[in-house]
Amino acid sequence: MPNADKGRVPAERSRRVSRWFDPRGIAPGQLAFVLHRITGLGLVFYLYLHLAVLSLLARGPEAWDRFIDLAKTTPILILDVVLIFGLLFHALNGLRLTLVSLNMGVRRQTALFWGAALVTVVLTAVAGWMIFRM
Amino acid sequence: MGGGGPHVVVVGAGSTGAAIAHDLALRGFAVTVVERGEVGSGTTGRNHGLLHSGARYAVTDPVAARECIEENLILRKIMPEGLELNGGYFIALTPEDMDFRQTFLEGCEAAGIPTRELTKEQLLRMEPRLSPKILGGVMVPDGVFEPYRFCLSFLASAQARGARVLTYHEVEGVLVEGGRTRGVQVRDRIRGRELTITADAVVNAAGPWAAKVAATAGCRVPLILAPGVMIAVGVRYSHRVVNRLAPPGDGDIIVPQRFTSMIGTTSWTVQDADLIPIPPDHVERMMDAGEAFFPGFRRQPKRGVFAVARPLVGPEEDQAEGEGFERAVTRDFACKHHEAEGAAGLFSVTGGKTTTSRLMAEAVVDQVGRWLGFERPCQTRTEVLLPPRRFFTERVVS
Amino acid sequence: MSWRLTLKIHRWQPGDRAPYYDHFTVEVPEEAYVLDAIEKVWAEQDRSLAFRHACHHASCGSCGLRVNGREKLPCITPVTDYPNGSTIQIDPLRHFPLVRDLVVDMGPFSQAMEAVRFSIIRHASEGVPDARSSEPPILPEEDHEATRFENCLECGLCVSACPIAGSALNYLGPAALAAAERMLVEPRGVDPLAVWEAIDHDDGLWRCHGAFECSAACPSEVDPAAAIMRLRRYGPKVGQVARQQRR
Repeated sequence: MPNADKGRVPAERSRRVSRWFDPRGIAPGQLAFVLHRITGLGLVFYLYLHLAVLSLLARGPEAWDRFIDLAKTTPILILDVVLIFGLLFHALNGLRLTLVSLNMGVRRQTALFWGAALVTVVLTAVAGWMIFRM
Repeated sequence: MGGGGPHVVVVGAGSTGAAIAHDLALRGFAVTVVERGEVGSGTTGRNHGLLHSGARYAVTDPVAARECIEENLILRKIMPEGLELNGGYFIALTPEDMDFRQTFLEGCEAAGIPTRELTKEQLLRMEPRLSPKILGGVMVPDGVFEPYRFCLSFLASAQARGARVLTYHEVEGVLVEGGRTRGVQVRDRIRGRELTITADAVVNAAGPWAAKVAATAGCRVPLILAPGVMIAVGVRYSHRVVNRLAPPGDGDIIVPQRFTSMIGTTSWTVQDADLIPIPPDHVERMMDAGEAFFPGFRRQPKRGVFAVARPLVGPEEDQAEGEGFERAVTRDFACKHHEAEGAAGLFSVTGGKTTTSRLMAEAVVDQVGRWLGFERPCQTRTEVLLPPRRFFTERVVS
Repeated sequence: MSWRLTLKIHRWQPGDRAPYYDHFTVEVPEEAYVLDAIEKVWAEQDRSLAFRHACHHASCGSCGLRVNGREKLPCITPVTDYPNGSTIQIDPLRHFPLVRDLVVDMGPFSQAMEAVRFSIIRHASEGVPDARSSEPPILPEEDHEATRFENCLECGLCVSACPIAGSALNYLGPAALAAAERMLVEPRGVDPLAVWEAIDHDDGLWRCHGAFECSAACPSEVDPAAAIMRLRRYGPKVGQVARQQRR
């Protein structure tokens, strides 16, 4: 019989897609995998947002100017930095995936990931500095 | 279920039970195997995986030696998916070992085991990691199998002929009525329920647990439970099996497999086979023995340390135990029909080696068939076994 | 010195609505492995616990499960990998049909291995006796290289670790793809075109998204992810050649 009767704890059922984001002890390869999916979803979201914003042009100059004023506020500028981060990571990791799928640098895929992450962070920092300096 | 023959329940899915199930199914019996755990989770699984050439017994047990080489040659033909066939050596580490060589070669010759003498230089060329202190050796046709897949192959082949293999089904009692075995009472450990399986005969191949199974029918199985410690390290030191050129003793064999080497073994006796604590001094002894063959062995990271009880044929009446006693006991097997104990149709198998499990099965099924009046010739010498994986792909679960 | 661990073990049996965990505290020697601790729980505390095991030295591949979420062969995972006195969570492999507690059904996995015609005995290259030929020499020649079992233990850890196996039900999985690569490199009498056709589809070679978890989980030096990437590079050519040869 079970000792230490701490009660029977219900176990989580394995959900399929949620498994992608299961953070328990994952290796760098999967960290890249998860970030790639999150940034990919973010970019899709941004694409629709972008189309919605562009549709303001059809409503005349006032609507557009109001949007431009909004776009210059700090919260939106922060989101711009997030967007740049996502875009850079997705693009650079996409290059990494292309390379390894062509059987190039497979042994160095972890280093390629950290490289992509480093370049992403540096370029995002530069972009952020430029955005907030303006 | 296939065959239309009598229904036989086999208790235990180790190498003995698996080979018996295959033999029964091939002769047209209806077969049900009940195993309380996973296939090979008892003695067989934690076995060295040595396909004996028989040379180990050539001097001490000529009958076992002859059986081993015969079965070795049969297994090469019927188990193409499960053997590393590289041969093995008996290597002399001391002048006494070299003196033993002549006796050894004569024993091998008498048993029909091919040998080739090798000089120290030849051995070191073939196996550069051997200790430069070796003196010489003899090559024999040893091989390596994987115990788990060995069982799965036999069971897959039995299944293909209609045998039912019920893993995680534990026998709670052998059912006897009017002096005759009627079947087994089983606990289905998956669904947590009781089950009665009726049968015309029951073959008890439960290895170290055979005495417990027989006791439920009031019968006695003389058993000695003699575990041995084995240690795997993550380096393949040699291409071939390395034995010590000496009479059987502790730490006298290193079996290479994949990228590992496994040293064995020791021997002592226990009362309970369910959980065997590993004596730390045995581990030390094994690592030292490995070091004698391969310098550096001691420092290798271990990749498994384990011990399991060999179910040796015991004396009919209680006998004194003593150091070294269990090694002298024959490695042969016994099949006991419990008719005189009031359980006709219950057969208990003890002893034996995985290498000779096909032969044991042949003898047991001959005996069972004779008693049931269903005699068919044994066909397992030539029937090529299915790949082990087929056990899972073609599984018929109750 | 002994090591004390509390095992939080996944329990489920057919008919249960949801799985749950039981806690067991065991003390084992510090040289012991996690499998020894599980076996001790079964032997001394709860005989109804079902788990798979056979060889206890990472050769049979039957005992695969997850310790604290990570895929492990408990037979070679030392208890000292986890702090003395700590609680470790033991779960069955993911993406396999659950039979009971920690026992999973290897059927679908084995089917994938069969689909790529995986043979666990390595063939022999030239000059090396072929273990599968009808009359291999009883005593090998001096210069012969060893025939070997393939490194893959068919334990299923890689499939459990793979995020794609978690979402694509029909994905062949890393083990079968790595096995296919071995069979294309050393066909051992198997038709390479049949192997290629078994993997050249949406649920085969091209489903992998390169998370590399399989290679991180593999206990037996297989590196399935690298095998998959090599297949992507060279496989189509091999398939093309095989197709031409068949014509």
